[in-house]
Amino acid sequence: MTDDKDVLRDVWFGRIPTCFTLYQDEITEREAEPYYLLLPRISYLTLVTDKVKKHFQKVMRQEEVSEIWFEYEGTPLKWHYPIGLLFDLHASNTALPWSITVHFKNFPEKDLLHCHSKDVIEAHFMACIKEADALKHKSQVINEMQKKDHKQLWMGLQNDKFEQFWAINRKLMEYPAEDNGFRYIPFRIYQATTERPFIQKLFRPIASGGQLHTLGDLLKDVCPSAITPEDGEQKTQVMIHGIEPMLETPIQWLSEHMSYPDNFLHISIIPRPTD
Amino acid sequence: QSLSLSITPAQTAAWRKQIFQQLSERTKRELENFRHYEQAIEQSVWVKTGAL
Repeated sequence: MTDDKDVLRDVWFGRIPTCFTLYQDEITEREAEPYYLLLPRISYLTLVTDKVKKHFQKVMRQEEVSEIWFEYEGTPLKWHYPIGLLFDLHASNTALPWSITVHFKNFPEKDLLHCHSKDVIEAHFMACIKEADALKHKSQVINEMQKKDHKQLWMGLQNDKFEQFWAINRKLMEYPAEDNGFRYIPFRIYQATTERPFIQKLFRPIASGGQLHTLGDLLKDVCPSAITPEDGEQKTQVMIHGIEPMLETPIQWLSEHMSYPDNFLHISIIPRPTD
Repeated sequence: QSLSLSITPAQTAAWRKQIFQQLSERTKRELENFRHYEQAIEQSVWVKTGAL
């Protein structure tokens, strides 16, 4: 019998095979070979691409190198979104490996945040965890932790240490038995087809009558267009970590088992491919 | 009435089975043909040496 805990491992060890190629207009001293890498779905692009940066810098003139950024089919990829979310949102149902273009010039200021060091990623990651705990436990759990526990969450993610991360993160996933769930579910819903970055609202895991709210209830409430097709045909896919959970799945269970390390449930709504 | 110790109704819920199944299909799709790729994060192995 498969255990629910196995889902945590599957989520943690999800990988996207990726082919990085240098943008054609970048000036190099010799030809830049593509670079192939398995990217952790739960991590951040600028946290796991040191090797890619080094590889391409080797063939470039030093004066041509400035801040690295990544693009997929014309869309600049936001490093502050988890990699798995970027893939689900922009590249689901496309052939693997995922083909990402590497840039060193013309940083798209209006689309991307700067990321000059790993400290910036750590600050963003911890801010998300704190926001999530504010929703789940009125910040009580994260505030009761020590600084070294916060560091352990970050180091666990940075070094891909599942046990190290979950030894602390399990405390963020607890709730009083009498409550049956968190106060509110930390979630964000992304749609590739809209300009709005994401939808985030207050949503409780349990209905006033005591029954468990489901993924379908959440979507009906905050993003009805995702599940109410005009002509009866389901035109969208609701993706989390590269899969489509059934709309009957309890949202509390999803929050505990399929949140990203930042403690948010990142849900992508994308057009269903037509055969 | 027979008693099943290993399977509860909750464990056999369709949504749960479907998640396990899809995660395993995801691993097949995203990893099976690409295991020879380099990992982005190296797993360092610490070897402790010392005099016995």
